[in-house]
Amino acid sequence: MSSALSLAHEPVTGIRHGKLGMWIFLASEVMFFSGFFTAFIILRNSNLSVFAHGASELNWPLAALNTVNLIVSSLTMAMAILSLEHGNKSKFQLYLGITFLCACGFLVIKYIEYTAKFSHGIYPGTSSFFGLYFTMTGFHALHVIGGMIPIGWMLAKSFTKRGYHDWERVEILGLYWHFVDLVWIFLFPVLYLIF
Amino acid sequence: MGAGMTAADMQKSYIKVFSALMVFTLLTVVAAKFLHFPESWGGLSTVLHVTIGLIIAIAKAWMVVYVFMHIKFDNPYLRVFIYIPLFLFCVLVFALTVLGGPTL
Repeated sequence: MSSALSLAHEPVTGIRHGKLGMWIFLASEVMFFSGFFTAFIILRNSNLSVFAHGASELNWPLAALNTVNLIVSSLTMAMAILSLEHGNKSKFQLYLGITFLCACGFLVIKYIEYTAKFSHGIYPGTSSFFGLYFTMTGFHALHVIGGMIPIGWMLAKSFTKRGYHDWERVEILGLYWHFVDLVWIFLFPVLYLIF
Repeated sequence: MGAGMTAADMQKSYIKVFSALMVFTLLTVVAAKFLHFPESWGGLSTVLHVTIGLIIAIAKAWMVVYVFMHIKFDNPYLRVFIYIPLFLFCVLVFALTVLGGPTL
């Protein structure tokens, strides 16, 4: 069994190896995104008009819809874990399926946003604001895609004869998925609203 | 999973947190788009907008971490791995924004 997904407990803290590994990874991801937020704020402080103008070009209602999308997906991911823990296979499939669909919806809205920008001649090289906007939201979207792969795999496996029963592994995936939602919780106001 | 909590109790917790997250999302938009401070306040209004926005974001993040990510029910050692980076992140954003330079 891969030690990364080991369900054995670490002897000092009593935390499962896989869960501990995911939390450590998420802590490093917080630092990863902190770098972007730091760059955003420092560049904004020296390019106020560029950032104000850039933010005014963004479609905040679509971004708000994406926020709702991710919050719903967080709820359904939590419900999926709970359902599988209690042996309710059909509800697990339903909730995980909705999570996957919400993720697809997020990417569709992101695609609409990006293509709208491109059609107006706005690209990452247009200004420092848009360089950061496309980088930060692009990396976030990559994280969404990265989460969709194991979600899709677990969902597909649940439909096989053998099914999928490891709710603890889904819980570990759920930690990653909630983190993706967490990043957007900060990205949305910082990029679209408060500056 | 949750100590002493039934599946129904857990579901109720999740729904409550989900509802709170939706309300806070609405508050974020209202505070940013419709809350206007007097022009004479100058840079202070930006500081206030940033502070309000961050406080709401931190509240939302805490709810997601505490309930959805099961920190409430899990080994307390785990809290170190998320609370410290989150705290550092919030200090960074707040300090750079408020102290880092000129504001509109």
